[in-house]
Amino acid sequence: MTEPDLLILGAGPAGICAALAAREAGLETVVVDANPAPGGQVYRAAPASFRIHDHNPDRRNGERLRTALAGSGAVVASGHTVWSVGRDLRVDAVGPDGPVHWRPRALVVAAGTSERVVPFPGWTLPGVMGLAAATILLKSQAMLPGRRTVVAGCGPLLAAVAHGILKAGGEVAAVVDLASRRDWAVRLPALAARPGDLARGLGWRLRTTLARVPWRYRHGVRRAMREGDALTVEIGPVDGDGAPLDGPTTTLRADALVVGHGLTPATEVLRLLGARHEYRREAGGWVPVLDADQRTSVAGLYAAGDGCGVMGAAAAQQAGWLAGFTAARDLGRLAPDRYRLWTAPHRHRLARMRRAGRAMAGLLALRPGQVAAIPADTVVCRCEEITRTEIEAALACGVRDVNTLKSWTRCGMGPCQGRMCGETVAALVATRAGSRERAGIWTARVPLRPVDLAALTGEYEYADIGIPEAAPL
Amino acid sequence: MNPRIHRHIQRPPTVTLWVDDQPIDAHPGESLAAALLAAGIRCLRHSPRHGEPRGAFCFMGACQECLLTVDGRRVLACQETVREGLRVSTGAARD
Amino acid sequence: MSFPHDIAVLGAGVMGASTALFLARGGMDCALVDRAGICREASGVNAGTLTLNMTRAALIPYALKGWAMWTDPGPWLGSDPGVTATDGLSLAFTDQEVALLEARAEARRARGADIRLLDGAAARRIEPGLSERVLKAAHCPMDGHVTAYLTGRAYRQALVDAGATLYEAMEVTDIHRRDGLFHLETPDGPLRARRLVLASGVWLETMLGWLGVDIPIKTLVNQLIITERLPPVMRGVISVANGLLSLKQFANGTVLIGGGWQGHGDRDSRDTALIPDNLIGNVRLARHAIPALGGTRVVRAWAGFEAETADALPLVGPVPGVPDAHVIGSIHSGYTSGPYFGKLLAQQLLGETPELPLDDFHPARLLPARSTVSEVSP
Repeated sequence: MTEPDLLILGAGPAGICAALAAREAGLETVVVDANPAPGGQVYRAAPASFRIHDHNPDRRNGERLRTALAGSGAVVASGHTVWSVGRDLRVDAVGPDGPVHWRPRALVVAAGTSERVVPFPGWTLPGVMGLAAATILLKSQAMLPGRRTVVAGCGPLLAAVAHGILKAGGEVAAVVDLASRRDWAVRLPALAARPGDLARGLGWRLRTTLARVPWRYRHGVRRAMREGDALTVEIGPVDGDGAPLDGPTTTLRADALVVGHGLTPATEVLRLLGARHEYRREAGGWVPVLDADQRTSVAGLYAAGDGCGVMGAAAAQQAGWLAGFTAARDLGRLAPDRYRLWTAPHRHRLARMRRAGRAMAGLLALRPGQVAAIPADTVVCRCEEITRTEIEAALACGVRDVNTLKSWTRCGMGPCQGRMCGETVAALVATRAGSRERAGIWTARVPLRPVDLAALTGEYEYADIGIPEAAPL
Repeated sequence: MNPRIHRHIQRPPTVTLWVDDQPIDAHPGESLAAALLAAGIRCLRHSPRHGEPRGAFCFMGACQECLLTVDGRRVLACQETVREGLRVSTGAARD
Repeated sequence: MSFPHDIAVLGAGVMGASTALFLARGGMDCALVDRAGICREASGVNAGTLTLNMTRAALIPYALKGWAMWTDPGPWLGSDPGVTATDGLSLAFTDQEVALLEARAEARRARGADIRLLDGAAARRIEPGLSERVLKAAHCPMDGHVTAYLTGRAYRQALVDAGATLYEAMEVTDIHRRDGLFHLETPDGPLRARRLVLASGVWLETMLGWLGVDIPIKTLVNQLIITERLPPVMRGVISVANGLLSLKQFANGTVLIGGGWQGHGDRDSRDTALIPDNLIGNVRLARHAIPALGGTRVVRAWAGFEAETADALPLVGPVPGVPDAHVIGSIHSGYTSGPYFGKLLAQQLLGETPELPLDDFHPARLLPARSTVSEVSP
């Protein structure tokens, strides 16, 4: 199906529900996702060859969603990496059989988020990994990050990962939480909309207490160092903005450090297509401007899920349903009264879920003090090994926007395409430019992901290349 | 202590991979990055300017740190699935 | 800005920056103006190829001089913008391409380029990573590349040292003639100069229009692709007989793939968008030439504008019908010969006879026959 009515980028909870909605409205639908199976981050599937009976509610929910998608009649192109989306909505990807493309009439982008880690000395050492990475290992690879792990950063994943490690028989040296007890307490009422999640989270937290795992509130990682096969992790007190405070530091010994400082919506595709964006720190950073029906500012382009602002998997599903129905309505395939009827329950649920999701998002927002405190010689751009010192030198020469900084320093030119360093770089530029809006955002470019050249070229003969006319003699 | 969690989980029998000409056992279907981690192989390559050791960081195909050579192809270990007989070279190609 | 400059050069790419540099060294009070920074448009984003293989035959003598300048930048530029001199090979994979290659090589040899035809085996001795399917290759020992994004820095220092006045981040929105001076309208008020050089690349057509001169200039939108770092797979610059491949590997291991495959672009909004099929075609051609590229990944791609006149020859010389106005630009594969053309135009402007003639490039040849050039009011 190369010219579907609707193409959905991302098969996480938002994308899956957008597909279910589109199929209910009778749209020919293709879902494209890079992972081997649908589910996204929260509901990431374990390898098909594993048999898991651990009664994990996320796994159950994931299976339910995958089954619904499989039975919906949508074409699911898993294992496909999208590298280009044109203004005409043509989507190019590489899959197991080489390059493919689709020309949908409408597009839903449900691309989720990427994890943000604010650099600290030693963050590039082997054995240091993201919080979301630890979740992937625990839930979908059934593996511990290490024998003894320090869990650091902020947000609900701290408890989830610590619990997951303990449950599997591993050790947690400490949980190092940027937030204070109060930061958590004020958000609990908003979580009442999700009593199941709330209970689960409290249960996780309790378990760490029972296991005598120190939970160090308002603490951050000062640095990590290698000691043979192990790591030493120095932690110390921080203020509400993530900046270090004077006070006694603690040195922990572990063989793994998992650290995450929030989530940033993945907006590359939407920005490539020229959709209007605004900066909202509490939502995770730059987010697309959407109307109440999940439309972006570009005709035929819709968005849903965490990729539009961190809101949690439950809210993401509702937003997905809405986006799918709206696309169908705009294509003239869903009558207005049906549309109102079918979207009403999802709007209602979305509003409730969003409140809970936003409460958690607040804990995950970028802390400028944490960025300001990055020591000078710390690597900021991992791919090109650019330190804060080099970034500051460019800023001292008058650079005031992230794109100029990129061409001066090479930050963002490496294979990760600025995903790991983007937030930190922008926050550093913003301290001179005056705001994140003035600092700007890296120009979205094709290829959206590094593309394997062999996969891109596929099998071809010289005559297939279609070489345009020769230059004049 | 085995980093693999076994409670409530059945994996298919292990197969042999060759990592820098050393055999390691891993389960088919696992991600190569996880399999290497379980085998204690954490340093997968070296940084381009100063040659610092690097390993898998995000496990989801974003950070590009786990780039290595599998059967002659440059791949991300976290996106590669374990199969019998895979030949893996870590840090061998200049990054 | 209160005193008029002797001369203003509008457009700080390689052409404009080179012209301004030699004018300043020649003693003129010279202003160089650009709405962005030096060498940020075509000159900052192109492949940076120094090539005789891909230079049009008529421009070979100028490209030879340009190559000599780039490979010895100290005397004229003062610093090294990452210049690497290498062999260049232009490849033929079919009999038709061999014929094309022979014709092109002959035409360039006749103008002084040292280009020899080799068979596949001999070509692979120079470039071991070449595909086995190469039938013949045109070899030029004088090719190479410049690191495009470093040129801005190099020129800036040289211009400052030469006493030129740089106006970066200054957009000129119109040009008027008043009191015997050119008034370049900018948001900060008019910049005045007795003489004018337009060196604004694809925007030459618009700016010539401000002076009442109608010379159509086509905007090419050239796509460029860069891989991640990989071990050495090639030593020199590689192109193909039909001209649509430009391939080189930098010291940091990344490989730059280009050659003129087109993307979408709008020179007024400066928006560009890549055409995926053309990206795939370009990469297929690259892999066909150097099979080892199949083992790497494409990490970044972008498009840059290139100017082309109706006869695909340069535009260098006086603006017809507009006293004291000159133009330089639209030089295909102009990176190689840009600095030399800048030097020649500066010579002309300083009242000297240019070292090599510029007559073939006189802008008057491109005026539509029936139109009359409107005189700009004094």
